[in-house]
Amino acid sequence: MAKSLMIVDDSATMRKIIMRTVRMSGLEFDRTEEAGNGNEALEKLGGGPVDIMLCDINMPEMSGTELVKEVRKLDSCADMRIIMVSTESSQELIDGVVADGANGYITKPFTPEKFQEKLTPFMN
Amino acid sequence: MVDDICISDVLLAGAKEVFETMIFMDLEEASEPDRKIEDDAMLGSITFKIDFEGNMQGCLTICCSTPCAKTIATNMLGMEPDEEISEAEIRDALGEVTNMVMGSVKTRVQDEVGNLQVSIPTVVSGRDLEYSLGDGASKISVIVSLGDEYIADISWLCREAHKLNRKREDKQA
Repeated sequence: MAKSLMIVDDSATMRKIIMRTVRMSGLEFDRTEEAGNGNEALEKLGGGPVDIMLCDINMPEMSGTELVKEVRKLDSCADMRIIMVSTESSQELIDGVVADGANGYITKPFTPEKFQEKLTPFMN
Repeated sequence: MVDDICISDVLLAGAKEVFETMIFMDLEEASEPDRKIEDDAMLGSITFKIDFEGNMQGCLTICCSTPCAKTIATNMLGMEPDEEISEAEIRDALGEVTNMVMGSVKTRVQDEVGNLQVSIPTVVSGRDLEYSLGDGASKISVIVSLGDEYIADISWLCREAHKLNRKREDKQA
């Protein structure tokens, strides 16, 4: 089944690295989008949801944790899977963002195997 | 509690994890620790605050030559060594490396010192670059070799940093 992916990170370089690592993991998406912050992500999601969103936490304008709360208010994105990708690793923060509606968490630095492990359950 | 942390070892372990996992470069403590970065250089920095024994504030920096920063960026992006890359992309990559090393260090120390609140990284370029926190700040630097060709300076500046390095000094004595 065709899948779509959105990468939300304020660093263009990190978005490229995440995209490259997803490709190296062997997972295939027929549509990929990028956003540089939470506001841009919400604007793009207004045109239609994606299946999986990979989202940074520390971003200017709107943080990843705020974005998760906003996305979960949208009926159109109810089935969207959100995986946080961040250097932040405190259990308290992870528990908080999962409670707000995120479906998983990947810490930087990451490997292709980590993406495969975390995303494969959402690919079918 | 905090005396049990050797910040030099934590910096080395954190940087090694990032460079070997995402940049595909071997990182070791340099055999010539006095070697200087004399070429045009780039310095990535990220400030932090720790609510431990008062408000400890500090900064983690990574400084390397511009050719080294370019190699780091091209490796991270999976580009060929001779492929064109903009200075903005190199700066962005060094900022991300600094951010990830800070994250890796944070993971290793937060059980002992509590949560570190960190800033968004910044990168500057020039010659003889040095980051200062002013009078009263301590600085712990580790010079590392990256692959066979390059060196980098990874530093931790903090007003209480000397406490975090006590264990290493004890070990060396």
